[in-house]
Amino acid sequence: MVTPMFTPGFVHTPVTPFAADETIDWSSFGRLLDFHIANGAQALALPMHVAESVSLTDAEQREVVFFALEKARGKIPVIAHVSDAGTTIAADRAAHAERAGAAAIVITTPYYWTPPADMLLEHFHQIGASVRIPVFLWHAPDEMRGSKITTDLVLKLISRLPNFVGVVDSSNDWQFQINVLSNAQRARPAFQLACGTEYFASAGANGATGFFSALAGVAPVLTRRLYEICRKEDYFEARPLQTHLAALHRIVKSGGFAGLKSALRAMERDCGIPRPPMEPLDASREQGFLGELRRFPPLGAEPRGW
Amino acid sequence: MPLVLKGVMQSPVTPLKEDFSPDLETFERLLDFHVRTGATAISWPHHKGESLNLTIPERKAFAEVAVKVVAGRVPVSIHVSALSLRDSMDLARHAESIGADAIIAITPYFWNPTPEAIYEYFVKLGTTIDLPLIAYNSPSYLEGVELTGELTKRLIERLPNFVGMKEASFNSEKYLEIARVALPLRPTFAMISGVEFLAPAIPMGGAGSYSSAGAICPRLCIELYEACAKGESVKARELQFKLALLWDLFRDQYPSSLKGGMVLMGRPVGPTRPPLPTASKERIAYIGEQLQALGIMDTEPHGW
Repeated sequence: MVTPMFTPGFVHTPVTPFAADETIDWSSFGRLLDFHIANGAQALALPMHVAESVSLTDAEQREVVFFALEKARGKIPVIAHVSDAGTTIAADRAAHAERAGAAAIVITTPYYWTPPADMLLEHFHQIGASVRIPVFLWHAPDEMRGSKITTDLVLKLISRLPNFVGVVDSSNDWQFQINVLSNAQRARPAFQLACGTEYFASAGANGATGFFSALAGVAPVLTRRLYEICRKEDYFEARPLQTHLAALHRIVKSGGFAGLKSALRAMERDCGIPRPPMEPLDASREQGFLGELRRFPPLGAEPRGW
Repeated sequence: MPLVLKGVMQSPVTPLKEDFSPDLETFERLLDFHVRTGATAISWPHHKGESLNLTIPERKAFAEVAVKVVAGRVPVSIHVSALSLRDSMDLARHAESIGADAIIAITPYFWNPTPEAIYEYFVKLGTTIDLPLIAYNSPSYLEGVELTGELTKRLIERLPNFVGMKEASFNSEKYLEIARVALPLRPTFAMISGVEFLAPAIPMGGAGSYSSAGAICPRLCIELYEACAKGESVKARELQFKLALLWDLFRDQYPSSLKGGMVLMGRPVGPTRPPLPTASKERIAYIGEQLQALGIMDTEPHGW
């Protein structure tokens, strides 16, 4: 099998809108995906953790991917996030995504379990081998506190999995980014690093070419401009934009997990509140949070509504 | 003359004799080597200089040699962090008395101090002496004890002599948060990367680095800095990848392997004090193979 080529570029990672009864709000989801497609996304990745993948049933996760593929068909590619605790569950979901037309899959370490290194390798190998489309590993150590993705694991997986094409890094860790990319590209020259957080400038300087952004739903203009300048490798010019995006990230982060959906509501793109066990911002906190967003000048240049 | 911290700054290792006693004579040669090969500042003793394995009198003796030998050619900062904060204060006052240009200090060891306690510590340190103060942030080594953007802001507002930070989180979010807060408040504030992680740092407001590999390959370190400063991103990344391989080689039992590599470069500086190991002959041979493969042996200065 020849290593398939796929460069994700600027990837938006949409949330999953919920109705008041906690079911998926397909109508808002459709509008949200149209918004992302019309506002600079070069690909969609979903359902990522910001889309509450772990709070969706297996059937809902498959439906979300299918729905996005229908919306994006002929426009932009869709990357399916298929992680789960069990290897075969994730592998089945990956195969479903491929059959439905996903351009690639992305997987992080298993939930809850902390398997030994050889079983972690086996986990990724079985999921990756269940499809022929490109596979990205997602390094998210702050969220996945058990098993870690290491350079050694990446090199072993490269030797076993021809369709393993890159790592999405959410650690912001320069040592990891440089170490994994410099070693992996010696084994597989086209191996890619994508930035999985809003800190693309430093990751780009370290060799990242892809940018997975959750805040693209809030500030598509700022995130797209940052992406474009970084892809020209002009990181000095990128600094003011990166500084703005870092400031926005801190404001949204201050609202906890619900902050992203509250920020979307502030931009008049209401996607409801998170599913339990995650909690919405209470009214008084949300008022303070929204006030801070209103005082953040770069949002003045961003689109409101759908 | 105002203190300027910029470019590739060197934090020398600490030469020891075979019986592990201080080798001040070799330290003089090493300092001179660093200044002659382009160091823009000297800062001693970082952890690479085995600071915590030296007694307080030994640290004072080495510090005096550093100030005397460098003799104003470049600024000299003294790292004053010790397990006991009383010792840190003592070392800070000593640094000022011998004519050092600045002091540098990490967040307290062992304890898990609150942000307020960290703030009070740096205020006490910064008001005990008149010298410029550089803070040292290393959250991964100190289990999450760190200087946040908010603490940095408060310290800049409180201390006119708080001039920079050795930032060793190697983390985009943490680095940028400190730079984002500090640089508008104090545009001359020097963000100095620990180790040579310059490619991701310089465009985000970085001033330079405290070098790890400078005793082995000073030319390569300076070439990387210059590529970063000129915005030559592709060249900078190639050099950064090469230096990352060296960092992988030396970070193991740091600075034992570094001292082992210095033997091969004709600049022996003796063993490493326990509990750190001294590089074995086999380890040195392995380092030699790697340095050869990377072209370091043929392109970097040999001997003193």
